[in-house]
Amino acid sequence: MTELAPRTPAELTELLRARPGRVRLVGGGSRQDRLPPRGAAVVVSLRGLDGIERLEPGDQTCTVGPGLPRAELDAALHPVGLELPCGGDGTLGGLFAHDPVGAMTAGGSSPRSLLLGLDGVLADGTPWKSGARVVKSVAGFDVHKLLVGSNGRLFAAVRLHLRLRPRPRAEAWFRLDGLDVGAAAERFLALRSLAVPPRELHLDRDARGCAIVGRFTGRATFVCERLRALALPEARPFAQLHLEPTPGGEVLAGIVLASQVAALLAAVPGRFLLRGDGRFELATADADATDAALLQLPRFGAEACIVRGAPARRGHGTPLDAGARRLLEGLRQALDPDGVFV
Amino acid sequence: MLRRVPPLERDLVRLLGAPRVLSQPDALLAWECDGFTVHRSRPRAVVLPETTAEVQAVVRLLHAARVPFVPRGAGTCLSGGPTAGGETVVLDLARMRRVLQISTADLFAVVQPGVVNLDLTAAVRHLGLHYAPDPSSQSVCTIGGNLAENSGGPHCFKYGMTTDHVLGALVVLPDGELARLGGPAGTRPPHGLDLPGLFCGSEGTFGIATEITVRLCRDPQSVRTLLFPFAAMRDACRTVSDIVGAGVVPAALEILDQATIRAVEASVYRAGYPLEAKAVLLVELDGPTEVTAEEAAEVRAFAQQNGALRIEEATDAAERARLWKGRKGAFGAMGRLATDLYVLDGVVPRTRLEEALERITAIGARHGVVLNNVFHAGDGNLHPNISFDGRDPDATARTIAAGHEILRVCVELGGSITGEHGVGSEKLDHIGMMFTATDLAVMARVRAVFDRDGLCNPGKALPQRAACAEVAKWPQMVARVLGEPEAGR
Repeated sequence: MTELAPRTPAELTELLRARPGRVRLVGGGSRQDRLPPRGAAVVVSLRGLDGIERLEPGDQTCTVGPGLPRAELDAALHPVGLELPCGGDGTLGGLFAHDPVGAMTAGGSSPRSLLLGLDGVLADGTPWKSGARVVKSVAGFDVHKLLVGSNGRLFAAVRLHLRLRPRPRAEAWFRLDGLDVGAAAERFLALRSLAVPPRELHLDRDARGCAIVGRFTGRATFVCERLRALALPEARPFAQLHLEPTPGGEVLAGIVLASQVAALLAAVPGRFLLRGDGRFELATADADATDAALLQLPRFGAEACIVRGAPARRGHGTPLDAGARRLLEGLRQALDPDGVFV
Repeated sequence: MLRRVPPLERDLVRLLGAPRVLSQPDALLAWECDGFTVHRSRPRAVVLPETTAEVQAVVRLLHAARVPFVPRGAGTCLSGGPTAGGETVVLDLARMRRVLQISTADLFAVVQPGVVNLDLTAAVRHLGLHYAPDPSSQSVCTIGGNLAENSGGPHCFKYGMTTDHVLGALVVLPDGELARLGGPAGTRPPHGLDLPGLFCGSEGTFGIATEITVRLCRDPQSVRTLLFPFAAMRDACRTVSDIVGAGVVPAALEILDQATIRAVEASVYRAGYPLEAKAVLLVELDGPTEVTAEEAAEVRAFAQQNGALRIEEATDAAERARLWKGRKGAFGAMGRLATDLYVLDGVVPRTRLEEALERITAIGARHGVVLNNVFHAGDGNLHPNISFDGRDPDATARTIAAGHEILRVCVELGGSITGEHGVGSEKLDHIGMMFTATDLAVMARVRAVFDRDGLCNPGKALPQRAACAEVAKWPQMVARVLGEPEAGR
């Protein structure tokens, strides 16, 4: 398959105006195995749009290209005491377009709140923009927020205007192992409900049982006091954000209310990774187990879809609300009427 | 005297009953404007639905009759968002004021759109919870209106705007169909677009939210409120920069200029602010006790370094209320200065605050208008307020001209024409400062997905030409708009 790699927004615009056929937009390519195949004629890599165009430490904002690796932005922000306060890796365009991580705890910064605006290009090569570079603006409709979760199927982003936050002065990880489902769910719920919850919070169930892992951040006095007061043993950082499928197995990604986790885990077997914001991944043994889980999830108010497994099954999941589905299809039709981005 | 009731009004009465359909001219007076009093227009009728089913029935009727309609909360919007005129019917949602669900485990509430912002916090206060977005009008403004406008408030520096607290909404679309956007757990990843994020701030043009799911926050362990008067505005601004630069994230960082201080101190909102100060900075810190203690010490040090005339800290709730009284009553206090008040709303990068204020002062002087500044300094969100006599055409013209120039300065400095009040009808002439015709056409295309017929709050948020053109075939429109001078890039 042809792969093209524009190095400037103008090159991307020209490329799209030339009508190259069906296009799959990619960043670093790290998430392609989580998307359904859609028969693209051309792969357009945005990896070359990787500049930090503007970094304003005093305003706590920056403008970056979508192809900038998250790690490079982190490295640039570290010396000025700032950070992009959400999870996720790969390129920044991929991070927002696929929204696989986002907030790591209840009420944490989500991609929605960090993406202040963007410059984009429609499938026919029309450049446009939405939002602003400042931390607060309600001028115009927030079309830029449609980047989040779009999987590159609505438009290409060529500049992202991001909100930054001060890097915490201290942090400490903790881990509780060997919990049964009930105890783990209860502890998870309690930690999540704190006035200042852990900055990251995970419930990890595997064949050995459940673990609660998290990270408190803030001033040193606060972080130390939290671990002591809550009797949480300090631990090494936890970096697992996704599950890998076992041979023949699949992975579901979804959302669930924290209060429903205990019941859900009792009903659905398999490796399970839950974050503080209610997003989870569930690894199933095979397609039949996946289908059984998808039938069970609505009982617990949970929604999910397949992100790993046989390519043809990726994207299938619990049914969407009919009205929302109509809007999603309408938006796709409105922004990319010829279905160029696949 | 008997009055002939037109067929549409008769059908509305059939749906809701006569007491909940208002169509006599005198009865419509209260709906002729919102907080932006420059634009006034009386609607054709006002209806008062109480349930989703009633909203749906009314919208279906209006859609079938091709009659435009406008959803309205408390009417506290400051940009003419819910103003409706001519043939337009207002759906006043004030009677939809029930809190439908509260979850202490999952920290969310489901409310009807007419629930007053502060009433939601009152409903969950005994549980140690609150709803964080706090527009200055929070004692009367509604959650539905906040959702439509993506409202902010003093505490959104730390806690974010309404969009950061909206998890989902049940929406009656402009053709009467229902759509459930997101939900208590949020939006399904990774193959779900952020529809609640798109809907929030759509200024009542995408449909009518009849059930809104919002995030609740735990009350902080401690709150510390400090007030610092300064002999110069730049000293107050520099203190803000120092605080933010040090990584301290206060819940609120508010500045009032001397003109505002004097207006407040001459009013019932008197808070004891020193009249000789050129600016006062109000700082609120919240969080764990040991953290706010450390942060307060740092903030005090920065203020002293920048020449604070004195330091006041609230020692109890009554003291805190007093310090906030002047800030929260500032707009009311300015109401005493003239018959009308034009509340502007622009944003600049925080590092450009000093420059922006100097230029705004010069604009006020040039146009000979009475201008006060009170603003969310942490966000760079300015509220220059012009007191004027709306009965005087010359004063009104100078006020509007000054406002236009002030917003241009905000955009020139890299900011926005509105941080929290919305475009409404007020800023249709200003939005071109930020967006090109193409940008607006893309927005209009998105709007048409929700409201193909352009019936829901027409003529708001986007210039009408962009919205109308969108109904026509897209490619021709692009060709047309691209032929116009590009602005704002």
